[in-house]
Amino acid sequence: MNKVTLTFALAFGLMTGTAMAGSAWTGGDDQPTSPLACDATPATMAAKPYDGGSPTNPPDRAGKKITVVDIPKLIGIGYFNATSKGIADAATELGNVDAKTDGPTKANIDEQITFIDNYITSGVDGILFAANDPVAIAPVLKKALAAGINVVGYDANSTPDARQWFVNQAQFNGIAKGLVDNMAKEIGEDGSFAIVTSTFTTPNQARWIAEMAAYTAACHPKMKWLETVEAQEDNALSFNQATTLINKYGDELKGIFGMTSVATPAAAEAVTQSKKCGNIAIVGLATPNAMKPYVKADCVKSVVLWNPVDLGYAALQVLRSVSDGTLKPGATSVKAGKLGELQVVNGSEILLGAPYTFTKDNIDKFDF
Amino acid sequence: MNPSMLFRHEAILALLTGVALFGLAALSDKFFTPGNLLNQGRLMSEVGLVALPMTFVIVTGGIDLSVGSILGLTAILLGVFWQNVGLPLPIAMVAAVVCGTLAGFGNGFIITRFKVPPLIATLATLALYRGLAEGISEARSVRGYPEWFFFFGQGEVAGVPFQLWVLIICTVTASVILGLTPFGRATYAVGANETAARFSGIRVDATKLWIYSAAGFLSAIAAVIFVSRVTTTRSDMGTGIELDVITGVVLGGTSIFGGKGTVVGTVIGLVLIQALKNGLALSGVKGDGTIVVIGAVLIGAILAGALFDRNRGGS
Repeated sequence: MNKVTLTFALAFGLMTGTAMAGSAWTGGDDQPTSPLACDATPATMAAKPYDGGSPTNPPDRAGKKITVVDIPKLIGIGYFNATSKGIADAATELGNVDAKTDGPTKANIDEQITFIDNYITSGVDGILFAANDPVAIAPVLKKALAAGINVVGYDANSTPDARQWFVNQAQFNGIAKGLVDNMAKEIGEDGSFAIVTSTFTTPNQARWIAEMAAYTAACHPKMKWLETVEAQEDNALSFNQATTLINKYGDELKGIFGMTSVATPAAAEAVTQSKKCGNIAIVGLATPNAMKPYVKADCVKSVVLWNPVDLGYAALQVLRSVSDGTLKPGATSVKAGKLGELQVVNGSEILLGAPYTFTKDNIDKFDF
Repeated sequence: MNPSMLFRHEAILALLTGVALFGLAALSDKFFTPGNLLNQGRLMSEVGLVALPMTFVIVTGGIDLSVGSILGLTAILLGVFWQNVGLPLPIAMVAAVVCGTLAGFGNGFIITRFKVPPLIATLATLALYRGLAEGISEARSVRGYPEWFFFFGQGEVAGVPFQLWVLIICTVTASVILGLTPFGRATYAVGANETAARFSGIRVDATKLWIYSAAGFLSAIAAVIFVSRVTTTRSDMGTGIELDVITGVVLGGTSIFGGKGTVVGTVIGLVLIQALKNGLALSGVKGDGTIVVIGAVLIGAILAGALFDRNRGGS
């Protein structure tokens, strides 16, 4: 018995000695951050050489009909229903694209990889993706490139060499600035807040949180970060986590950031049900339809997002341009149908535009 | 035991699998190509490796719901041992597998020593090990493994994926152990009637400890292969794999009440499920449709098995 206990103790000891490095806040990643200026000065964007991958011997697809599959993080939530609609709109407008959306029902990287693998075998011409994990998805995307398939990402990036282009909805530091400034306006310069995110390893959420930490340290140093909790894009879990935060911190909690389009309405619901509207501010990323009741009830003052329908639309337009050969490595801008010219930033990322803030005044104009 | 009775369920399953394979090949011409079949073999290796000890576990009348969490925990430990503790990668791999085996041993210990029903014990360790994985990793993934490490999950030997060779070797070993050794017969005895087995002098507790440790061991091996395949470690790896594994094992004819089941049946069951998932996806059925079909096949197979059990008049 002693030997057994000792082995267990040793194993647990080995297991719990870990390093404490990375972002100041839990949930951020450990890549370098570049916070924007505290005032409204726009960021300077340095030019970077093209760093995307390229397909091996792709067939000539210029002008021909192509089959495209869109594999988002998961299907069945409003955000990706909206991007899917944008992709379908672009397909109808272009006329020579056969696009369909398919994906796992949970935000699970293993299943997403299997989906992509099956579509590679079935011989699609193009793949659009929103990655659950930037590194784990890279081998299967490289396999797609090796099979001559065009690969374009949106919403959540992979490592740059695993795809040709990535349509970025907004600069990470722009989103961070928008969210933190809105929160500071509502809870004051020395308020305390918590964050509800999807998982700590989801690429875009981790990037946003890291940028938010850097921006807050630079421009709102007295604001206090309490905790980040995971809610995995699940409605019930987001609600439970938000309620737990409210109960745990009581009066100390002045604001909650919702980092996903599932977490923000769930947090707003938790605050409403705890009767703390007006005491706890909710600032986050969400689709306007989900937030309309809370914005109308004055529980939530501002919702930050970009237009996911436009995001999906732009992604398919970029994929068509890449297949036709009109978008080549080294380009500085690309024409994306009704959205006009989109800028190329960071080597192989295409910027959709600036984040948009929905408030009580303008939220009725949108329906997604 | 009459051989024809023993192989009844497995024979029907093999027939069903053959029919499915031909049907799926007809639906899509890309299904029955060597490249695709080998690729599917690669993808089903992790589930296959975990299903082998799970067959033993279910034959003893137990169940192990924590294999997915052990997989996730081992994956995280591999990353932590290599990157944070600084061990050389081969030693980190061995250490991580040892920890995974200990986790399985922990399951067996709780079940035999404290007489906790396996369902409850492994349900608890499912949460415990997953929580440990998330806590230890602090939700950071470990990346940047050296090139040679990717051979386990992405490499090939003589044209066949490496992990498929591992699966084949382990399948043969497991079949031999379950079917031809005293340990295998002890496993069946424990599942058929545990009290009678104990009074017959069979070391029931030791058998169970071995089996649950083996489940931990093979989950850990599957974790190493999985990390090598996706080149990164995440704390949510293996979530839900226990359901795929149990589906394969039960489809293969192993009775959930214990005492009946073969490794061959499990393998055929897994092949059927993987073929359906892949073939249906290739012929254009979306993800949700595939899940419905697999559920229907599982129910059909269980009903067919139960039907033939009754006809045999109890043996």
